Amino acid sequence: MTTLNQRTSALTTIVLNNLQHQHDWTALHPHTQPNLPRTLLYGLPPKRLYVHPDEQVEIIRAEKEMGNGGGRIPQEAELEWVLPLHLSEKWSPAQFAAVFDALDARPPRSREITKEEEERSPWLAYKGSRRGKRVLLATVQDDSTVTYYWMHDGLVKPRQN
Amino acid sequence: MISGSLSSFFVMYKTIQGSFFLTFFTDQCCFKMATSTSTPTHPPVRISLIAGRYLVFDIDAVMVLRRSFGLCGVLTGTMPQNPTQNLFLSMPQELRAEEARLVVDRGAGYVADEAGDHLRLLKEMSSGVGEKRREGYLRELREKKVAAKRLFDEEKEAVRRMHEGKRGKGKKVQKVEEGGGGGGDSLFETATAVQPAPKEALPAITPSTSNAMLDPAGTSGAIADENLPEPSAFYRELNKRGYFTTPGLRFGGGYSVYPSDPFKFHAHYLSSCYGWDEKIPMLDIVTSGRLGTAVKKSFMFGAEREEEEGGKKRGEGEVRMFCVEWAGM
Repeated sequence: MTTLNQRTSALTTIVLNNLQHQHDWTALHPHTQPNLPRTLLYGLPPKRLYVHPDEQVEIIRAEKEMGNGGGRIPQEAELEWVLPLHLSEKWSPAQFAAVFDALDARPPRSREITKEEEERSPWLAYKGSRRGKRVLLATVQDDSTVTYYWMHDGLVKPRQN
Repeated sequence: MISGSLSSFFVMYKTIQGSFFLTFFTDQCCFKMATSTSTPTHPPVRISLIAGRYLVFDIDAVMVLRRSFGLCGVLTGTMPQNPTQNLFLSMPQELRAEEARLVVDRGAGYVADEAGDHLRLLKEMSSGVGEKRREGYLRELREKKVAAKRLFDEEKEAVRRMHEGKRGKGKKVQKVEEGGGGGGDSLFETATAVQPAPKEALPAITPSTSNAMLDPAGTSGAIADENLPEPSAFYRELNKRGYFTTPGLRFGGGYSVYPSDPFKFHAHYLSSCYGWDEKIPMLDIVTSGRLGTAVKKSFMFGAEREEEEGGKKRGEGEVRMFCVEWAGM
């Protein structure tokens, strides 16, 4: 009989492999913490996965000011949190709240954004001091399908898709 | 019986208040956050509890709720002649139980047990206490009659002028005018003729609607706080932050949440409220997240934190909210 611990670690492995091989994530690390209910992952997606709508406005403004005919500001990927879950699970708001309370907005080894950088390019603040807490819910089904959904802590306005 | 007479009242109300209602719709409703329950500048909003539904019948009250309290409710009135015409519904406005509770908690109004109160007012009318109220009711009837007559006359006058313009000053027109001045008007008393008070000997009138019997500044028939629906901390928090909510079925959620007045904005969230320790199946979160993304919204769910030790009463605790959207991978 497998223990709960073994099963959740199997879940973590499935998600880790899926991210690494199907979605080309790099720098993937498991993350354990005494106040976390299970092992989380953090890693670097191949391209930026989430841009806050307000940040997008700042970026567009900066690109306009830059001029030079539609030049784009290159968007560096940032480290993201991943919470592996199985489809058969049922979580309460209390459990999600506990995960968010235990986590920092920025995973370990995230690039430091200095005050000066934020002042120079305001959109960088959304990677630094203004980054909200978010976790990528990786929901696994038995046929090895993994779906990815963002979960934000608090009210975060939707992106303009 | 009471609801039947009320619906006939809606129609009358609509014809008389129609012009006000239009201005209400075109007006930019700016939502000012009334943060405290300071002295209200409006008469208390009467929310009539009829057959388990919370209804507001006064257009001024609807405007107060919308402008100052971020409540848009749902307009439910329709025309008995054409009940399927439901694209532009009218008064009365229906509130959800938690919205009604919020109005009371913020000191803006009260919930009245309409059926009981109506009967009580009727009974009082036959005694000495109700004499003044009776006069008020008759006065209101008279005013309505004058107003209706004025509208009718204006319309008739407009039609007459239109015909006059078309035909020029022929003999026929004169005949029409003569006919209009004689036979037509004799059917109706003129405005001045309506003014004198009816004789005391007239048979008593049984009011079929309550509003003319009510003192606008009073709180007749108010239901005590402990008998009101439970407050919802989740809803109160959204309202406090300036969000408007409407029923969420059309986008597939519990509520649709708008960042301000729905006349000006699209909904940002479709949302559901859960218990703090209520287990949510992952499939519900995934499907709602997927659906939300499909309609350019985000799925938001929330719960009120239940304090471990005594702490705060239900409906006053901290509210946690989470937003879910498709990650695009």
